[in-house]
Amino acid sequence: MYLVEDKAKRADVRTSEQLAGEGFMLATPIASPGGKWEHFPNSHISHHGKACCDIAHEWLIAYDFAQLNGGDILSGPRWMREHSAWGPSAWPIHWCEAVDAKIVDCGVHAAIAQEAFVARGLRAFRAQFIQRYSADAAASWRESWGKGDVSDHWIDGDAIYHEGNAVVVGDDHVKLWDGSAGWWINPRGEAGYGSLAAVRIDARVDSFATGLLWGNRRIPLNLWVEI
Amino acid sequence: MKIFVSGLYAGGNPQPGVGIVRSLRQGYPDATIVGVEYSNGVSGIHFDELDDLWIQRPWGELDLESYGQRVREVLDAGGLWISGSDLEAMWLASVFPDGHANLLAPPMAGIKRITKPVVEAASGLPVRIPTYLSTEHSDWDLHAFCRAQDWRVWLKGPYYDASRTPTWDAFTAVRNALSKVWSTEKLFLQAHVSGYEESVMLSAYQGELLGAVSMRKRDVTAEGKTWAGDVSDVPPEFLEPLRRMVRDTNWTGGGELEMVRDASDQLWLIEMNPRFPAWVHGATIAGHNLPALLVQAATGVRAQPVPAQSAEFTRVVLEVPVRADYPLPPLPEPFAGAVGHSMKHPSGLTALAARLHKIDPDMLDVALAPEGSPAPNAVSALPETYVADIGAQDFGAMQTPQYIYMESTAEALFASAAERARRLSTDDVEVISGYSIKTNPDKRLIKLALDNGFYAEAISLGEVQTALEVGFRPDQVILNGPGKWWPEGLMPRETMHAVFCDSVADLDRVVAAVEAGEMSARHIGIRIRTPNITSRFGIPLDSPTTFAKLIEAVKRLPTDSKFGVHFHMASSHVGVAQWWHLFESMLRWCRSIERLSGRTIEMLDMGGGWYPDDWHADETSKIAHAAELVRAMLPAVRQIASEPGKAMAQPSMALAMRVLEIQEHEDDMIEAVVDASIAEIPMHFWQPHRMVRQCGETGALQPIGRGKTYLMGRLCMEHDIIASNVQLPEGTRAGDLLIFCDAGGYDRSMSYVFGRG
Repeated sequence: MYLVEDKAKRADVRTSEQLAGEGFMLATPIASPGGKWEHFPNSHISHHGKACCDIAHEWLIAYDFAQLNGGDILSGPRWMREHSAWGPSAWPIHWCEAVDAKIVDCGVHAAIAQEAFVARGLRAFRAQFIQRYSADAAASWRESWGKGDVSDHWIDGDAIYHEGNAVVVGDDHVKLWDGSAGWWINPRGEAGYGSLAAVRIDARVDSFATGLLWGNRRIPLNLWVEI
Repeated sequence: MKIFVSGLYAGGNPQPGVGIVRSLRQGYPDATIVGVEYSNGVSGIHFDELDDLWIQRPWGELDLESYGQRVREVLDAGGLWISGSDLEAMWLASVFPDGHANLLAPPMAGIKRITKPVVEAASGLPVRIPTYLSTEHSDWDLHAFCRAQDWRVWLKGPYYDASRTPTWDAFTAVRNALSKVWSTEKLFLQAHVSGYEESVMLSAYQGELLGAVSMRKRDVTAEGKTWAGDVSDVPPEFLEPLRRMVRDTNWTGGGELEMVRDASDQLWLIEMNPRFPAWVHGATIAGHNLPALLVQAATGVRAQPVPAQSAEFTRVVLEVPVRADYPLPPLPEPFAGAVGHSMKHPSGLTALAARLHKIDPDMLDVALAPEGSPAPNAVSALPETYVADIGAQDFGAMQTPQYIYMESTAEALFASAAERARRLSTDDVEVISGYSIKTNPDKRLIKLALDNGFYAEAISLGEVQTALEVGFRPDQVILNGPGKWWPEGLMPRETMHAVFCDSVADLDRVVAAVEAGEMSARHIGIRIRTPNITSRFGIPLDSPTTFAKLIEAVKRLPTDSKFGVHFHMASSHVGVAQWWHLFESMLRWCRSIERLSGRTIEMLDMGGGWYPDDWHADETSKIAHAAELVRAMLPAVRQIASEPGKAMAQPSMALAMRVLEIQEHEDDMIEAVVDASIAEIPMHFWQPHRMVRQCGETGALQPIGRGKTYLMGRLCMEHDIIASNVQLPEGTRAGDLLIFCDAGGYDRSMSYVFGRG
């Protein structure tokens, strides 16, 4: 969860309040499922182009396989939440930093999980979520992200932007993995605190022209879909 | 309308009675609901929705015949009865084998078809049954089952209770406890299935399915019991076979199918209960009042509809007033010096289990195999070479306790391993075996290893010297382990076959020694400690930082030696499948090490701790596949070494002992003292041993089965019990010879001198 500009300007991280009115982000959600995150890109971990990031990446892949412990390869990489708690991350972030960090945000969790799923031989895609919380939750997160001197652009009113993964489990069925929570998101579609308001699956493949089936819903690809 | 509801225990692992009562009250506000219990220590009797109580004495005290008659009178008088207890439902089925129009519980024929673990009645459902094994099989077979399931197993009784048994000693302890509590030796082991737990609850009357709902657990207690869940309709692909099952079993009453959904979406049936589950009112909250549907079907009186309040439910803890006419009984005093007051079954269900056995010895048997299948055999057959080797001994002149060298067994094992290594070798990749000296440093075994083309795998310079004394050349020695520099001054100057470093510090010392000309090896490598498996050995890979240190260390290894990687984990400890996953995981680490260090791996050394049966029986295909995998993933590897120490040594010796004394106690329990002890058989706690008695009169070998005898060692140590639950053959007396096979591995090498004079 970061702005594209954040990748290149780590030292210039500002809060949404600071950024408001600069045309940097929308002050209010637009009338679409994606809200102010309508054209938001998935988080992307950078590579230093050196051994430090090569080692981190190789370690990640081998470590994930070791953690499977003989279990099903469709098991979620629960170890990531144990390895690094969810919290503010400053962007850009490189593999050597992301894999070693004790606290990372959902963009890091999702990017790492994506590497792990694909290395296992699974078809997996990045997924973006909008979730409903509360004003109190938003205030608490703004406080934490502010103390971490990290942008809180992922919060908007009582909604938040979140990242995860869509893992193909059948011909065109997917499960949505929330690596920061360490669980598969419930496709029943409850409303209320913590529920999923919208989802976008980032999959640039032709084989799912009709979208992917999540629970009883068919999710067209690369579009925000209201839940 | 008068409805009797039992199963009112409402603790952390509650019965469904209170939930049934709450649901019935919503469906039939004017009904008279009578709570039935067998103890006034059951908290649910104080629930204020109960109009009346019918408290019986605990099951152990009840006169079942007259109580059955009273229940019949209640039913004949128009009362309805919904049972909230499995065992009570079974007892009621024994009283009313063909049911009763007002008894809203399943008939005996139906109950018998849902017996664990096969749950035969559910065979049409889209579920699978986790693999299982009756504990009536021999300990040898039970141990093999646990290894095959990676020790992720549950030991279960036929009614309640299940315990994870991750080790052999845990298994034997739980087996003793469960057998005692539930008055049966007929337990079973079942493989654990990892996944999300969900249930289907049903309500049926005389073979017609009235309703069913699905529930997924969303919060659980420490015991894994439901604390919160979401409720949804049962999908058609489940509902239709469920309807057929209800019809086939002529089911009446509630029922619950407890399942686990694994990561690939497969449902595994754990068990079916002949009653509503404790979360029954959670379904009512979601608009599915199944107890009311049941009463409606039985009486024709329409239940008041209850709208769904939520598709999800959760529990809260509430304090309620205690009824004045049933004051709380005092808490039993803890046993002197003990902690806690637990009275796990206040209504005496365990006593009911014992009584049901007497009513019908087969009523509660676990269902393990289709009819006609061979019966489990509690006695393991001895391999022919065992019989020959034991038969070749002159026991008359033998001082006991005495280890017996099983010569033909050992020769056959080493020859077989050597032949397999030759068979798996190709022009490009040689497969070799290393005999792990620590497993049993008996020189006869080391010599056999030498004669069969094994390398000698040593963990100390003392072991290296032993190998050299037997005839190994230094270039046939693999030196390993954290103590490879001990004792000082014995490091060979000649070139060894391989040296593996156990830590970065060890690696630096090896590098320095090689540079100084103090040691030499064709292969110098590292032992890696794969994550997620507890081990004190090897270089850790737990974090990118430690991994980076390892990569830097590998770059320091001498370039004029070939690079090797060693991986070791006891297969018998982690289980067979998990070992193979670790192996594949290790290959991935190796591939990463190659990429990052620039060093290619030419020797791969994989240990170990294989149980003999796992290694020798039908493993060729796996090992061949492993060799193929190595070739594919690490094409520079030219030699694959394996170290089947235990697989070679364990069957190669037995322990002979004599009975010193036999003491018979009540209930067929026998305590026999032998002249051996845990000093000679220290692995008793961790593995079973096949045992025989040599008949004093005929000399014939008689296998020792399972029974109520304890074999106690000669030591004055409380835990010196070398076998429990055994059955000595008829006629066994003091002076008779017993032989514990499979004692040539760590039993032999870890034996100690305590109590030997």
